[in-house]
Amino acid sequence: MICTMKILLPFKSVPDPETSFSSKSGIPSSEASLSVVNPFDAIAIEEALRMKERGEEVETVCVTIGQENCVEQIRTALGMGVDRAILIQDHRNLDPYAVARILQAVVLRECPSLVLMGKQAIDNDLNQTGQMLAGLLGWPQATFVSGIEFTHGGGCARCTRETDEGSEVIQVTLPAVVTTDLRLNEPRYVSLPGLMRAKKKAVEKISLEDLQVKIQPRTVLVKTVSTPPRPAGIRVGSVDELIAKLKDEGKFFPSSHR
Amino acid sequence: MDFNWSTEQQELKRAIIKFAKKDLEQDVVILDRESTFNSEGWRKCGDFGIHGLPVPEVYGGLGQDPLTTIYALENLGYVCKDNGLLFSINAHMWTCEMPILDFGTEEQKQQYLPRLCSGELIGGNAMSEPDSGSDAYSLRTTAEKKGDKYILNGNKIFVTNGPVADIIIVFATINRELGVKGITAFIVPKNFPGVSVGRKIEKMGIRTSPMAELFFENCEVPVENRLGKEGAGSALFTHAMTWERGFILASAVGAMQRQLEICIRYAKERKQFGQAIGKFQMIGTKITDMKIRLETSRALLYKVGWLRSQGKTAIMEAAMAKLHISESWVLSCQDAIQIHGGNGYTTEYEVERELRDAMGSRLYSGTSEIQRLIIAPLMGV
Repeated sequence: MICTMKILLPFKSVPDPETSFSSKSGIPSSEASLSVVNPFDAIAIEEALRMKERGEEVETVCVTIGQENCVEQIRTALGMGVDRAILIQDHRNLDPYAVARILQAVVLRECPSLVLMGKQAIDNDLNQTGQMLAGLLGWPQATFVSGIEFTHGGGCARCTRETDEGSEVIQVTLPAVVTTDLRLNEPRYVSLPGLMRAKKKAVEKISLEDLQVKIQPRTVLVKTVSTPPRPAGIRVGSVDELIAKLKDEGKFFPSSHR
Repeated sequence: MDFNWSTEQQELKRAIIKFAKKDLEQDVVILDRESTFNSEGWRKCGDFGIHGLPVPEVYGGLGQDPLTTIYALENLGYVCKDNGLLFSINAHMWTCEMPILDFGTEEQKQQYLPRLCSGELIGGNAMSEPDSGSDAYSLRTTAEKKGDKYILNGNKIFVTNGPVADIIIVFATINRELGVKGITAFIVPKNFPGVSVGRKIEKMGIRTSPMAELFFENCEVPVENRLGKEGAGSALFTHAMTWERGFILASAVGAMQRQLEICIRYAKERKQFGQAIGKFQMIGTKITDMKIRLETSRALLYKVGWLRSQGKTAIMEAAMAKLHISESWVLSCQDAIQIHGGNGYTTEYEVERELRDAMGSRLYSGTSEIQRLIIAPLMGV
């Protein structure tokens, strides 16, 4: 690669999947539970760091939207090895379109050759932001990616996508938006020296006014309910009875398939 | 009085728990049975930064204050069940790194600390001899000065990390007639000619921490490897022991927390006579006692950490913490086995191992009796 490639790494802070939190109120409280970097975004960060460690000329910049409570997740990203961070200050619970609009403004400001991010956030599993961002920018996109390789002297990225039918390999010209899937890599954890180094790295705080973006949330989170507990099983007397139950209670053979 | 940890300390704690859950939560049953040192775990701790916690950044460490360091070690002990590995880490940190940091010349610090912090070098400390244990200063290993060298001769026993160590801090006397004033410390790389490792010592517990006898036979040690001045060995040893006593059981406090949680879970799940055994007051009482022992141990530990972070020596507090935590740990281990009944007696449940590991804590770094001998005179008794 001839010149330095800048990779923008958007990430979201999500509740730690390893801790349980109560949802008595119907809406999980983000203050009460610990937050982590969205695991899919961590995979994107890891991939960018591996590109750098392979000797590619890469500058890595992470960006997140939130308030002071995101500082720990920013330090995690910096501690993993990301070069610098941008915090877009907004306290609202934003929907994918709003996030994509904000990221669009960040992209125009930073001019990265690649936006690498998780395919979805594990808190709401929406899987839309990357696609919307690519659409807003008019950039090519590769989603559900489990392998990335630069070709044409860094002008293109050959991406392996995970699809229902199997793996699909596509080539996108850069700049592009690439969203990462689970099998791309296993992210490193932050070492203590990494955490110490992270404290010395730059964190730029930007407001939406600075970015000249006005956001009207279009989605409201009404409530969250836990999955109902699984009822006790029953014992059936014969194969016929089993098939009858499976048919009548309709859970295994949806009506359209009968 | 403020019992809150800072945001950064909490962040450190979470990073350690995450690391330990991923890399150090492996099965210890087989390692223990075969007395195997977990060298991979050692290396991972090195990469993660554990070995350099209290060492300043200029020497490759993390420059954490004593209180933060023990908080880190406590949380490491909470997740990592390998008490032997933790013991090896503690010995390396408090009896090799810290004496070099506090008494070493600039050259010695530059030469050894970065590689000790990264875990590339493993450190040990050789004080005890077959005939000098609690009466440590009656040691017989000699260091005879010849030109710009000292010639070391003698036997050392119970050298933690002995079989795997690269660097040993050896205490020897330059002249037995000088008594305590003749004791001098040396940094001896184990590959020096004249150093040989004896049998690996089989132990009741902390079996994954290798321990050996070391023999010095006309071992030539250059003057620049002397740690501190001639005759400064006893001051250095006392200093190192104060560090060690105060903090070596930080991970044990974490282990007690884990043990308590395991017992509570078991007491709630295990049913006898139609109810969870925790509903029986006799079990509830044991768990309460365990909780109180844990909290008092933790309070003493933090007090030592706090005093040391203030630059105070805390000799009495270190001895009290060492004594109380070790005794509490052993008692709680017995309760844990009793709560688990016959299951607790089997290796599979990993409850009995904790008792075997804990027993050593009443002996190393000064026996419980020696701690009392330190504490009483400090109150003017």
